[in-house]
Amino acid sequence: MSRPRWMKLARDLVLARGRMAMLVTALATSIFAVALMLSTFTVMTREMNVNYVGTNPASAFIEVDHVDEALLDAVRRQPNIADAEATSWVNGRVEVAPDQWVPLLLFVVPDFANARISTVSPEAGAFPPPENTILVERAVLTLLDTIQLGDSLTVQMPNGTTQPIAISGTVFDPSLAPAWQEQTVYGYITPATLAAFGEDTTLRILKITVRDQPDSVSAIETTVEQLTGWLTAQGRVVDEIRIPPPLRHPHQSQMNTVMMVFLAFSVLSLILSAVLTATMIGGLLAQQIRQIGIMKAIGARSSQIAALYLALVMGLGLIAAVIGILPGMWAARGFSSVVAQLLNLNVYSYAVPLWVYGALLLMAILLPLLVALRPIRRATRVTVRATLSDYGTTAAFGSSRFENWLSRIQGINSSVLLAFRNTFRRRSRLILSLSLLGAAGGMFMTGLNTSSAWQTYINIAAVDRHYDLEVRLNAPQPMEQLAALLSGVEGVAEVESWNLIPAAVARPNGLDIVRTYPDGGHGSFTLRSAPSDSTFINTPMLSGRWLQAEDTHRVVLNQSAFVLFSEAAVGSTITLLIEGQPVTLEIVGVLRQILSPAAAYVTPETFAAAAQIQPTLTNAVRVAMTASDPELVAAVTQRIEQTLGQAGISVRVAVSEVLLDNATSGHVFVFIVALLLIAVVMAVVGLLGLTSSMSTSVIERTREFGIMRSIGARSRTVLLNVISEGVMIGLMSYVLAFAVSLPLSFGMGAYLGEMSFRSPLPLMIAPLGLGLWLAILILGSTAASAVPARQAANLTVRETLAYV
Amino acid sequence: MAQMHPAPSPLIQLRGLTKTYWTGAKVFTALDGIDLTIDQGEFTAIVGRSGSGKSTLINMITGIDEPTSGEVMVASTPVHQLNQEQLAVWRGKNVGIVFQFFQLLPTLTIAENLILPMDFCNTYPVRQRRERALHLLEKVGIADQADKLPADLSGGQQQRAAIARALANNPPLLVADEPTGNLDSQTTDAVMQLFAGLTAEGKTVVMVTHERDLAHFFTRFITLADGRIVANEIGVPA
Ligand SMILES: Nc1ncnc2c1ncn2[C@@H]1O[C@H](COP(=O)(O)OP(=O)(O)O)[C@@H](O)[C@H]1O
Ligand SMILES: [Mg+2]
Repeated sequence: MSRPRWMKLARDLVLARGRMAMLVTALATSIFAVALMLSTFTVMTREMNVNYVGTNPASAFIEVDHVDEALLDAVRRQPNIADAEATSWVNGRVEVAPDQWVPLLLFVVPDFANARISTVSPEAGAFPPPENTILVERAVLTLLDTIQLGDSLTVQMPNGTTQPIAISGTVFDPSLAPAWQEQTVYGYITPATLAAFGEDTTLRILKITVRDQPDSVSAIETTVEQLTGWLTAQGRVVDEIRIPPPLRHPHQSQMNTVMMVFLAFSVLSLILSAVLTATMIGGLLAQQIRQIGIMKAIGARSSQIAALYLALVMGLGLIAAVIGILPGMWAARGFSSVVAQLLNLNVYSYAVPLWVYGALLLMAILLPLLVALRPIRRATRVTVRATLSDYGTTAAFGSSRFENWLSRIQGINSSVLLAFRNTFRRRSRLILSLSLLGAAGGMFMTGLNTSSAWQTYINIAAVDRHYDLEVRLNAPQPMEQLAALLSGVEGVAEVESWNLIPAAVARPNGLDIVRTYPDGGHGSFTLRSAPSDSTFINTPMLSGRWLQAEDTHRVVLNQSAFVLFSEAAVGSTITLLIEGQPVTLEIVGVLRQILSPAAAYVTPETFAAAAQIQPTLTNAVRVAMTASDPELVAAVTQRIEQTLGQAGISVRVAVSEVLLDNATSGHVFVFIVALLLIAVVMAVVGLLGLTSSMSTSVIERTREFGIMRSIGARSRTVLLNVISEGVMIGLMSYVLAFAVSLPLSFGMGAYLGEMSFRSPLPLMIAPLGLGLWLAILILGSTAASAVPARQAANLTVRETLAYV
Repeated sequence: MAQMHPAPSPLIQLRGLTKTYWTGAKVFTALDGIDLTIDQGEFTAIVGRSGSGKSTLINMITGIDEPTSGEVMVASTPVHQLNQEQLAVWRGKNVGIVFQFFQLLPTLTIAENLILPMDFCNTYPVRQRRERALHLLEKVGIADQADKLPADLSGGQQQRAAIARALANNPPLLVADEPTGNLDSQTTDAVMQLFAGLTAEGKTVVMVTHERDLAHFFTRFITLADGRIVANEIGVPA
């Protein structure tokens, strides 16, 4: 071997194989997590975009009195219009069990075969649908798990007509939030089929795509403004305009943010592994300091020796990369497909872009290298004299200001001082173990805290609501009559009128523009009348006060509505568009309302004036029942449906609160599982760090153990001694983990809450998280220190005392 | 036979060499204005009581330690002016160091230990290195131990290996700090013979020792006391 320095490195590695294996495991686990998250992130961002853009989503949906071929032709010739098509949206209901209804959103498609804007693609069965049949979005079959392709759906139209209609096929529509999330059946029919229900088949929605800058909201707005001007000049009546965030799937920013959080945490774990590497290499260097001195004495330059150890770290990173990256990417396939299923998307390609391989490889190699640079430079710069003379070795203690201060303290008994010194000599190792375990525990607790906060919030939402059912009608009815009718239904305790009408934020140009997707989910905004003496809701105010009976032209916004108005505050006025007419109201309060879409509450008088309806009429009632268990709610709902049906009153939708719950909890669960997964990765790294720290500690204390043994300590005593030190460190990290979990849970709750409820989740401390992590720590740290403890216990007295 | 080399040229020149250490709050002078010239081919002993500054002195010559003031010239190289990196390169090629505790790298075989200086200093063609190592081992009489680990060798064998390693890059100067301190008298004698043989080949050897009965090997005795040269005698090798 003519390059013996590499030989030396290789043999030293073999000697330290246990520690090296731990290092590689820690690095590989972390790089696995980073590979998993980064690959999923890139694949899903791309696939989500491919799915969504693949439908050629409309830049805007403009509601016009009616859209025909002539109009479409003319619109297509307008400036910056790429294409135009007509459609209609109908809100009906589907009966999923006797008298149990789920909302139905029907898309009326004049020409399935030649549709070009916001298209759907056939999945199974017929396409286009034969007359008098319906196509449903594929996720609908998951929502309605008893119904299959070929079955019949009982559909009720806004006009009250109720008819069975056969499902002739399924389609895939990636532009909609999944049916199970929205608890809505999405159906697609032809105008002829709609006609068979006796509904008006006039197409009212003009879908357009723009030619230039299809990704810019302001460009789209300008085009739409021009187009609206032109339409109005043609004598058309323009109502609501929907401009969804251009070329972005409804869940795009949500998913991006969540994935970023995961990615950040996995990178953090990689950084901690890198720090662990640096510390272990530092330990190796400390052991070899004399050998380094000898090599320098016989002509080695510092740079040559540094190169050896840098190569070692690079090698470890490379091995970790080889072990971690591909499995991480492989796992990313699984994770991506779960995320895709959750969001009802197709993954057309799991291919990970090349740059990701490069980035991962660089991270795996460079991060440990960067962190190890300092200890390596320090060790290899040491002078020959320092390593060889008896004077050099004492430099370790007393080198920092703190240590100097420590040694100047008077009156401390020397053995206490010694213990102190030992602790602080080990402090960088201690700090590392603590920060690894602390971070892992913090994440773990955060996962469960967030889950518990979520649950609590949903409970608060339930507590704030004292009604069990909301019934929305297709046409307003006299309230007194309705109340009398419903009060007679068995199980109904109380009925209140809670009128509603869609609202939009008035814009300076007078256009009624909302930022909503066709499913109307996010961003829907309603004006509601609230009985001023209502017993149906709690009114926890974020600011201002709740409505009073004499409040006219005054409004209370819930938090979701409040954010729609920039610069709004209690006391300022806002302008809403109701049925195309501006209505100006003064804000008197902001209501904390969880799990509710944006709503503005006014007194019944103000509502009647704004909506231009008779104050005695109502189009929505809320019903409190004698009990709130799901079975009773279902039974009473059924009886209410029957009663209204017999009275000839057509119900648009009946929403029970049970339904709402299911709709939202789905993603949070996935989120929490991923959070826990990263916590596990960190825990692995943390426990490996603890093991390494304990091994080093055992090596350092070999002599001490020898003396213990020689004065009669049994193996068991030594074993216990080491294990209890490990468990002690574990328990210390527990405190740290708790401290870390508080701001982390707060931030995570704020983020998740804002995302889902427009209000931060409360900071919750989950006893389950605390308990589980404690158990994991005790077991884990016992296991982590058991190996070094056995080493220590098995040393013979002669070995320990001979050890230098 | 007073001199082996009739026209000696100075290899080592120390001028006004002083070394002070800070111990706690006090200044301790380990070397105090040393002036010394050692010629090429000499076999010099540095003697004195423990703590008199012997190790400090030879550490100045090898550049392992730097003087507080004064000059160290070795074959016209101003050693005291070199930085750590320059020192490493210079030392690797010009000085062979032999330690009291042998200091062979434990995970390398004897042959590999010998090749290591050639590797670091890139002195001999890669293919010739092992051959040279074996040649040197033969010279010190342990060629048969080439592929063993240091731990498998006796103390005397290890010290021979260490001497062979010091010769790896064929330096003109060998410096040894109590190389026989850990050896029995018989082995000591053999190791001293080896050094004497090297001086005969023209190497210059500076050795710290406190074993007076080795006197007959040296051509010069420098006696130190409290950091000063108290005697500089020419010896008569037997
Ligand atoms: N790094 C140091 N710090 C303080 N004092 C030192 C240092 N190195 C050597 N000394 C002191 O210098 C004196 C000479 O040491 P040394 O040259 O090692 O003596 P020896 O002749 O035994 O080899 C001794 O008294 C020693 O205590
Ligand atoms: Mg000495």
